[in-house]
Amino acid sequence: MAEQEAKKWGLVIDLDRCSGCQACVTACSMENNIPFTGEDEVAYGRGMHWIRVQRYWTGAYPDVKPDRTPAMCQQCGNAPCEPVCPVFASVHSEEEQINLQVYNRCIGTRYCANNCPYIARNFNWFDYEIPAPMNYYLNPDVTVRRRGVMEKCTFCVQRIKHGEDVAAAQGRALEDGEVMTACQQACPTDAIVFGDLSDPNSRASQLARSERGYHLLEELGTLPRVTYLKGGGYYGG
Amino acid sequence: YASMPEYNQTGFSTYYATTCRECAAGCGLILRTFEGRAIKAEGNPNHPVNRGKLCQRGLTSVQGLYNPDRIREPRKAAGRGSGNFIDIAWDEALNTVSNLLGGDPKSVAFLMGYQPDHLYDLVKEITDAMGAPAPVRYGALGMFEARATLIEAMRQITGQAGLPFFDLGNADLVFSFGANFLETWLSPLAYSRGYGNLRQGTPGKRGYLVSFEARQSVTSSVADEWIPLIPGSEGVVAAAIGRLIAEINGQAIPTAFATVDLAQAVEQSGVSEEKLHHLAYLFARAEKPLALPGGAALSHTTGLMTARAILALNAIKESSLIRLAAADDSAASLQDVQALVNRMNQGEIHTLFIHSLNPVFELPAALGFSDALKKVKAIVSFAAFPDETSVLSDWTLPDHTGLESFGYQRVLTGSDRPALSALQPVVVPLYNTRATADVLLEAARMRGGALAAAAAYQDEVDFIQQKIRPYIGAGGFYTAPEILTFWSSWLQYGGWWKAQPEPIQVDLKRALEESLPVAAPVSIGRDKFRFHTYPTQMGDGSGANRPWLQETPDPMTTVMWNSWIEIHPETAAKLGLRDDDVVKVSSSAGELEASVYLYPAIRPDTVAIPFGQGHTALGRFAEARGANPAALFEVQMNEVGDLAYGDLQVSITPTGKRRPLARYESREGVYGDHAG
Repeated sequence: MAEQEAKKWGLVIDLDRCSGCQACVTACSMENNIPFTGEDEVAYGRGMHWIRVQRYWTGAYPDVKPDRTPAMCQQCGNAPCEPVCPVFASVHSEEEQINLQVYNRCIGTRYCANNCPYIARNFNWFDYEIPAPMNYYLNPDVTVRRRGVMEKCTFCVQRIKHGEDVAAAQGRALEDGEVMTACQQACPTDAIVFGDLSDPNSRASQLARSERGYHLLEELGTLPRVTYLKGGGYYGG
Repeated sequence: YASMPEYNQTGFSTYYATTCRECAAGCGLILRTFEGRAIKAEGNPNHPVNRGKLCQRGLTSVQGLYNPDRIREPRKAAGRGSGNFIDIAWDEALNTVSNLLGGDPKSVAFLMGYQPDHLYDLVKEITDAMGAPAPVRYGALGMFEARATLIEAMRQITGQAGLPFFDLGNADLVFSFGANFLETWLSPLAYSRGYGNLRQGTPGKRGYLVSFEARQSVTSSVADEWIPLIPGSEGVVAAAIGRLIAEINGQAIPTAFATVDLAQAVEQSGVSEEKLHHLAYLFARAEKPLALPGGAALSHTTGLMTARAILALNAIKESSLIRLAAADDSAASLQDVQALVNRMNQGEIHTLFIHSLNPVFELPAALGFSDALKKVKAIVSFAAFPDETSVLSDWTLPDHTGLESFGYQRVLTGSDRPALSALQPVVVPLYNTRATADVLLEAARMRGGALAAAAAYQDEVDFIQQKIRPYIGAGGFYTAPEILTFWSSWLQYGGWWKAQPEPIQVDLKRALEESLPVAAPVSIGRDKFRFHTYPTQMGDGSGANRPWLQETPDPMTTVMWNSWIEIHPETAAKLGLRDDDVVKVSSSAGELEASVYLYPAIRPDTVAIPFGQGHTALGRFAEARGANPAALFEVQMNEVGDLAYGDLQVSITPTGKRRPLARYESREGVYGDHAG
């Protein structure tokens, strides 16, 4: 379903700053109660990473280097995963204007994953064991998913809600930079910036307008909410 | 709540500031806790080292705290090495330690890691009072960054021994000689922040990065130019560039670069003359260039000279970007560890205390540490996890994990100002563990005499408070009239540091004034390959028991849960090897097996294996997974006594076996293929 309201959360990822270190991947997993699946499952592509750093080798030795893109759910304004869900488990949240998965509606048809051009969705093939007492670190703000449901990046919606609650309780508007996604918070090179794209003065908006900006598979008309800033290329200019 | 927030639990989180103990960099942590449980590790936004940022190791520290395989009670071995242990009471443990401290002081040895600093300081006081040798401080991360060599090079040039801080963020050109500063080098978060600023910190000006190393690391992979030189020729290249810069600038050739023979440098390094001219021009033209002496460059028999040549490169441009934050030369070299091993072998060591270090896993197997252990009468390990060393110990008296501990860590490099980082428990200790500082203090008290007098602290907290007392009046960003008020700010902010940057600039001029005989790299043997190894997100190997570190893909190969050998595709084709074929890698010291990863970004004459896997202990997530390259190291050292692992050569033999690696980039495997 296409967007109706103006409030738009968005991410900007500066690939010139990104070192590809994967701290965002670990941070996301620790924040969002993502289970580890073990060597066999992950080898089959059944790992549960909500964010991955795509790495393609480009060039030939000695001018070879990996081309990296941290990719997660692009929170499409016009999301291909939504209309194909028979039970409305993949829905657009009216309040935050992001794409969310309703775990207790999901019946595991996996249509949404098949229709996602960004390969951003992960399916729980099993109930994954987190041996006690490791379950102590589970985040109480995030549902622990069970076998048979689809899951994906939520832009750390629990953090958005928490930020909004705190601001509302203090009778003020949410400030730019107050809500940070887990990946942004950890990012050692400060490559990831989260913010309200409907506010033209937010840091994310300013960066998203950069001439280095582009979107993944823009031509599909999905209206992705993640802007990438091209890396490399010029010096001293 | 009139309307319950849709996604949130009721209840409040409590946040504690502490310090990460996954490596010695001393990054500030903010731990989110909820109902007494540690939920999430986040960076401390005010901390001068990491400014709110955090790497994988810090992020998974809660998986260490809540690791199901932790040692929960003090225990003694029912027969050393038998694998059977008997839980004992702390009273018995204290008696044991007290008796052991009472032996001939010369026969008592402490082997410690690079953190925590407060425990090192306490042990140093105790050994001084006993008349025992000072504790030996070592670890794999220091081994790979050749810590002692860098410290010695700084001492020779500036007269002050210490680890330098390189201000990457304010540079406009960085030459990294084997410094993988985005992953593990010295203070990875401080340098990652610096890298971000190098690229996009100054509007309209993008810093340029050139990286010199035989195998493309994460750092080389984002560099603008990667120069795959012959390993061991870093010093030759630095000196050649230095000479060319002097020529470009029309300066007199400094003594250090006087003997450079350009043609010879080209031959020894494999870097073309044209390239050297281009690099020299870049460096000469840059306003604020910086050259980094990384571990891969210093870990050759000529490592010290290489370090001096690289530092001299900074001197020629009068760099103001290198600072000495704190003088500290407590890092031992492998030679010092070898001296300890020799004493163990000669039966001179009766008691060995080991803390924050897993020597059986981390040290080169050829050093013979495991065998030397057999000659030691009593081995006491303070490990929190059943690592390879603790299972060979007589007593394991588990310390708390970092998140349950008090302490402090000096910030040696990675901060633009003096800083001391604070540790405090974020949760009540889970098990019947006890702070090693308290164990030693109590045991010393039970001994009485000079030892008890030296250990006249009530407990660990009292010791820390006395040590940080001088900081009350030292001009930090907060102060207090007395220690208890100071202590509450210390805990609240997670340490002490100054409000403003306060660099101790170092003068590197002397590096140019002395002649620098940089030797050629060792030539390659027939049917041999140069061997490279590097620490990964597993750190010194202690991270291997964190499942999320295992399942976070390696940034270069995307491999998870295992180790691999990187071979250039051309080389592999010559050997008839494909991805996932298992090969035997052998050196004169040992051998191991690993699955092949066809790695396009490595010199065809070089192979590489990451360090950190190959555990035979350390719990369910770490054991029987991958290979430990420490089995291959020959005990060959540089001028300072650091391991010259960069000079190692190995031979490769196909085994005919195949074992698929779990990789993010491709999906391959059959159930059961990854077992064993």
